[in-house]
Amino acid sequence: MANTSKIQDLFNSELIVLNVGPKSFSTALEDQGYKTVQVNWKPIAGGDAEMQKLLGILGY
Amino acid sequence: MSTFVKIEKNIYIDSLETLFATTVLNDQDGVNMGYIGMCNSTFRSVIEDIGLMTPEIAECTENDYVIVADADSEAAFEAAVEVVNKNMEVKAGGNKVAEYDTQEAALAAHDEVNLVHIAVPGDCALEEAKKALNAGKHICVFSNNVPFEDEREMKELAREKGLLCMGPDCGVANINGAALVLSSITNRGPFGVVGASGTGIQHVAAIIHEGGSGVTQTIGVGGNDLKDPIGGISMLMGLDALNEDPNTKYIVVISRKPGKKTLPVICEKLKSINKPKVVLFMGCEREIVEATGSVWAENLDDCGIKALQLIGVDYDLGDDAELDAIAKKAIEGMAPEQKYLRGGYSGGTYMDEAMHAMYDEIGDVWSNCPLNKDFQLADSYKSVENTVIDYGEEEFTLGRPHPAIDPSIRKPAVLREASDPEVAVICLDYILTPPGHPDPVGYLVPDIKEAQEMAAKRGGKLVFISSVLGTTADIQDIRKQEQELRDAGVIVCKSNAKAAKLAAKIIRLKGERDNG
Repeated sequence: MANTSKIQDLFNSELIVLNVGPKSFSTALEDQGYKTVQVNWKPIAGGDAEMQKLLGILGY
Repeated sequence: MSTFVKIEKNIYIDSLETLFATTVLNDQDGVNMGYIGMCNSTFRSVIEDIGLMTPEIAECTENDYVIVADADSEAAFEAAVEVVNKNMEVKAGGNKVAEYDTQEAALAAHDEVNLVHIAVPGDCALEEAKKALNAGKHICVFSNNVPFEDEREMKELAREKGLLCMGPDCGVANINGAALVLSSITNRGPFGVVGASGTGIQHVAAIIHEGGSGVTQTIGVGGNDLKDPIGGISMLMGLDALNEDPNTKYIVVISRKPGKKTLPVICEKLKSINKPKVVLFMGCEREIVEATGSVWAENLDDCGIKALQLIGVDYDLGDDAELDAIAKKAIEGMAPEQKYLRGGYSGGTYMDEAMHAMYDEIGDVWSNCPLNKDFQLADSYKSVENTVIDYGEEEFTLGRPHPAIDPSIRKPAVLREASDPEVAVICLDYILTPPGHPDPVGYLVPDIKEAQEMAAKRGGKLVFISSVLGTTADIQDIRKQEQELRDAGVIVCKSNAKAAKLAAKIIRLKGERDNG
């Protein structure tokens, strides 16, 4: 059996989420009353292809 | 009508925000067709396709934010842009969230963070996952298209550090009561759920909620976790964690049948867990599941029902006789040429379930992802005979969010299918989620009504059948959504499988009536 003590700590703590990506996900958590921190992840400069990939992930 | 443009140079607005803004823009009076985005190649190709490219936009760079629309007048465009901007301000202003450009900077300032949610392109997910795990944070990875070797690497690192890795391709997770990614908001209770199918987890958790109980945690491990290249690393850790969690009294497991090498490993783990458990391994032999000391579930509905039975709750989804009676009534008033069904689904799990449910009544149906490859549609925009479409597939979602978030993807389908006089039934699923549309049913109701009127004018009757996946705790409230459907004359079923079954029964019965 794996040591799950860190996961038990998570289950027994106040959840604070760092969202890396579209802000709507942190907004949705804030609306539920949870604390969040936001990283406005950007494609690397000049990354037109990266931008397409970013869009691509939204169709999960 | 003319094309109007508004450009803001050198700002960055993420794609999900611009896509929502596009939906708002298109909802405004006087706007015939509009689009909003950062001016990259995807944006350019979309606006060229819809005829909104202008010389001004052609000169923009990918660092420029563009609002463009074909509108009745400049005043109408300006008014629409004002609403779009206001909407964005409200969303941004309502939350005083600390914002950073990099994960390193955010974690340096906020050591209190205990879970990092990652939604970046698949080939960038490992880098962000490693940053989080090396900082001792649990992760939930929404990104899809993560290479197997990257998924394995992040999961091995998580295991080594004793941290939870949900996803990649994690659609649903509910931790400490928080609905992450695309989860429904669910009451808390004694059930711990771990699964590979996001919709599957959400479906069972919603039944548990509806049955008056709730979940401790739901852990989405992603669709690839139980395949042999990954070996169920996150599933095994999730099972251990739920087994150790004193608040979790019952465990529910949901997945397609695990890979050949992974299945015995998962079964051994299940055997070692002494809490009562219900296991749904779609496509797996019943004996294999029962040999682990688990309650076997046949499908998603059965899994929810059997979970509730563990706490003595009898949850009734109705029987076939009820559906037969509804079907009999539904065919009254249909025109002779109406003989086919059309289904529009928000994802693969529900469409697969629907196709299986329909099969017993009417056999195979055409699809963009059929059960039987002989029924592969040549064109996903051209339905034939009985057809169901997964609007979560790439041909619809490339450059757009998933239909569970953005209902506009499926919107044109309602009138397109209704314009076919041979269509008798249209089946639509609705999935509620915090980042999704605040009123997905209301958004489609005008089209549903127009479709019904079209059929009535032809002397027939078009029947709409739906189910809503969500809970009374969701912002959209499942009861309100269901009532909106009923008010629009839509038959509302208690589950997706029941809705599909009813649709197919209507088609079978109609055929029997017409053909004697």
